[in-house]
Amino acid sequence: MSTADPTKFKIAKTARVKGIALCITQLPGSQRLVFGSSDFKVYELDLAAEKPQPVEYTGEGHQSYVTGIARTADQIVTGSYDGRLIWWDTQKRAPLRSINAHEKWIRDVISSPDGKVIASIADDMRCKVWDAATGNLLHTLVGHQAMTPHHFPSMLFAVTFSHDGQLLATGDKVGHIAVWDVVSGKQVSELEAPVLYTWDPKQRRHSIGGIRSLAFSADGKLIAAGGVGTIGNIDHLDGPSRVEIFDWATKQRVQEISDTKFKGLVEQIAFSNEGNWLVCAGGDNGGFASFYDAQTGKVLHQDKMPMHVHKFVLNDTQDTLYASGHEQIAMLEFKADPPPAAPTAPTPADVTAPSN
Amino acid sequence: MAHTNSSFCGSPDHGVSRRGFLGTTVFAGATAFAANMRVMDALKNPCLAAELKRQQKSVILLWLGGGASQFETWDPKPGRLTGGPFRAISTDVPSVQISELLPKMAQRLKTTAIIRSLNTRNADHGGGTRLMETGRAMEQAVDYPDLGALIARELGRVDSQVPDYVSMYSETEGRHKGGAGFLGARYAPTFLTESMIPPNIRRPDSMTEIDHQERADLQKLLAKRFADKRYDPSVASHGMAYERVRGIMASEKLFDINLEPQSARDFYGPTQFQEQCLISRRLVEAGVPFVKVARAWWDSHGQNFETHLELCADLDQGMSALLDDLQQRGLLESTLVITLAEFGRTPHINASLGRDHFASAWSCTLSGCGIKGGAVYGKTDEDGQKVVDGEMKSGDLFATIFEALGIDHKKEYQLGARPIPIVDFGAKPAMEILA
Repeated sequence: MSTADPTKFKIAKTARVKGIALCITQLPGSQRLVFGSSDFKVYELDLAAEKPQPVEYTGEGHQSYVTGIARTADQIVTGSYDGRLIWWDTQKRAPLRSINAHEKWIRDVISSPDGKVIASIADDMRCKVWDAATGNLLHTLVGHQAMTPHHFPSMLFAVTFSHDGQLLATGDKVGHIAVWDVVSGKQVSELEAPVLYTWDPKQRRHSIGGIRSLAFSADGKLIAAGGVGTIGNIDHLDGPSRVEIFDWATKQRVQEISDTKFKGLVEQIAFSNEGNWLVCAGGDNGGFASFYDAQTGKVLHQDKMPMHVHKFVLNDTQDTLYASGHEQIAMLEFKADPPPAAPTAPTPADVTAPSN
Repeated sequence: MAHTNSSFCGSPDHGVSRRGFLGTTVFAGATAFAANMRVMDALKNPCLAAELKRQQKSVILLWLGGGASQFETWDPKPGRLTGGPFRAISTDVPSVQISELLPKMAQRLKTTAIIRSLNTRNADHGGGTRLMETGRAMEQAVDYPDLGALIARELGRVDSQVPDYVSMYSETEGRHKGGAGFLGARYAPTFLTESMIPPNIRRPDSMTEIDHQERADLQKLLAKRFADKRYDPSVASHGMAYERVRGIMASEKLFDINLEPQSARDFYGPTQFQEQCLISRRLVEAGVPFVKVARAWWDSHGQNFETHLELCADLDQGMSALLDDLQQRGLLESTLVITLAEFGRTPHINASLGRDHFASAWSCTLSGCGIKGGAVYGKTDEDGQKVVDGEMKSGDLFATIFEALGIDHKKEYQLGARPIPIVDFGAKPAMEILA
């Protein structure tokens, strides 16, 4: 049950970190966060500490940006531009298993809601599904074109599980979304969001954008895709932050949110468990977090973030968000006011004796 | 340092120095063409003309407009915060590594020298472009020619019937024609933007081919009669101008890659830049001394890594195909291929995962003619923040380019009473990377 009220959004705590924190997860029952960095390392940060200090995971780690992190039942798994997945013992902060998972840069790693399955995506345009406990490859999902229509290498940026863990969705640079059945590994639908890809044929002759984030609604019927809308000058992220929501079964786009108040990439999206709102975060040179009504697309609340947000994780009650980004980790709270206390029976001391 | 004009494309057996031959007779401005006319009699000697033709050199400039990142190309810093996410990969030259975004060029570094120590101090697009086009800072009193015009002036053949300087710039951002400056319009570029076929070179539809030919024949006849009784260089110049126009009108086919077999087109690749690389080969093969292929726009303030994933793939394919093709045709030893931009990009990675303008420590490459392949000149510090060895300025780069082509970098033009050195005052070539 969510205890969130997006209008109560506030930055509760921040911590400076070295480099760019590209991905983040929360260890259960704590404010201990694990994040992957542009310095190729994985760190733990306890935001409950008075002065949080990152503690480095040691052992043979990654050799490039750590871009994805997933929490399994009792471990975490990280993915990197080096193409490897590494399983880590969170107590010892040391590696348990390393797999050469992809031929190109891993863009993200996520776990199923029960933590039993891992999905990784990379610029080899494959989504690989792994047994989280054994590291065995279960499926290789192939459904995204390796090249853009303009003869450049494409990129596979986004992946998400449905809340029941039965479906996966993947999204690429040119705005193509594939929906997959996790058990069979078969593609069950595909969607297109081409506005999230800007190709400049004349001024600069390259592209920017792509689907940077995906999320299923709690009932599994809707998929939200995030990124940046059409950009005039693709030297910068100077375009509206953009979310498109699809009924994936009918392939109908049911919502289109183009937000010019905060520009740049929507790097991550999450629906509330009740399905009444969704939260997005990302940025350009700055950062933002925006809450929208999931039915109408109207802004419920939005605010600047202290940094460009690359990823966030919501806590179990969905009233706190931990964000990783450019040289900072931030904790955002949006907790509803506690309900007024119910009237209680008067105690004897409260009772005034009648005077007579 | 004194340097004599003795090296020619690494071919020491060249018995005749065309540059030496022409170099002593060139003057600036209007006198230049007349001066060249003095060698026309010499060119009538078939042995000498053939030798000169054999030594014909060309330059192909791959202009990476907007400023490519040295970190993601020629000077990677793997493992450093400034280095970004990409690995450095080994090349066909032991101990030299480049970015993994250029895997094909990594196997062709034996043809290429890397300069990692440009410190040009101008990180503004306009100023940086002008600086790297001309090899020197702007000056109010002198309109300096750009590299293309200088090469056209130095390597252009007086009897050439093809353009001396072709510049292709299809993207609109940063598009800049460049110019011949004080050398005059004779050396200005044929500038191609919207179409790869030069505009206004076709015969008007109102004139038949027969009419056109008959008019040319009549002009030739009258001109010959007139010239036979006069030994004035200006008369010869007049006739040459007509020949040149006819040649350029006939050169349309050079720009038409549909005349190439499909296998050749596939070899270069399908993008516009890759097709323009193929056109550049056709042009130098036909004797065009300077071709610029601009590949804009690398100005990656946001999403530097994604931008370079795209543009480096384009460059890697186009440039490697070009070098291979030139080599297979025996043209690489006479063709200097340059990659250059107005500046490089910052070591700092900004919040948009971009890199900004940076002119203090950046890279370029020289391949082919006169170059010691596999050489690396200069060095930056471990984070790529500054040059720590072999600092090179734009003038030094130009001096190196000229020497690679056998052009004396100490040469001077005469602009009125003022001698103008062909490179900036005090500029020196990097002899270490010359063959």
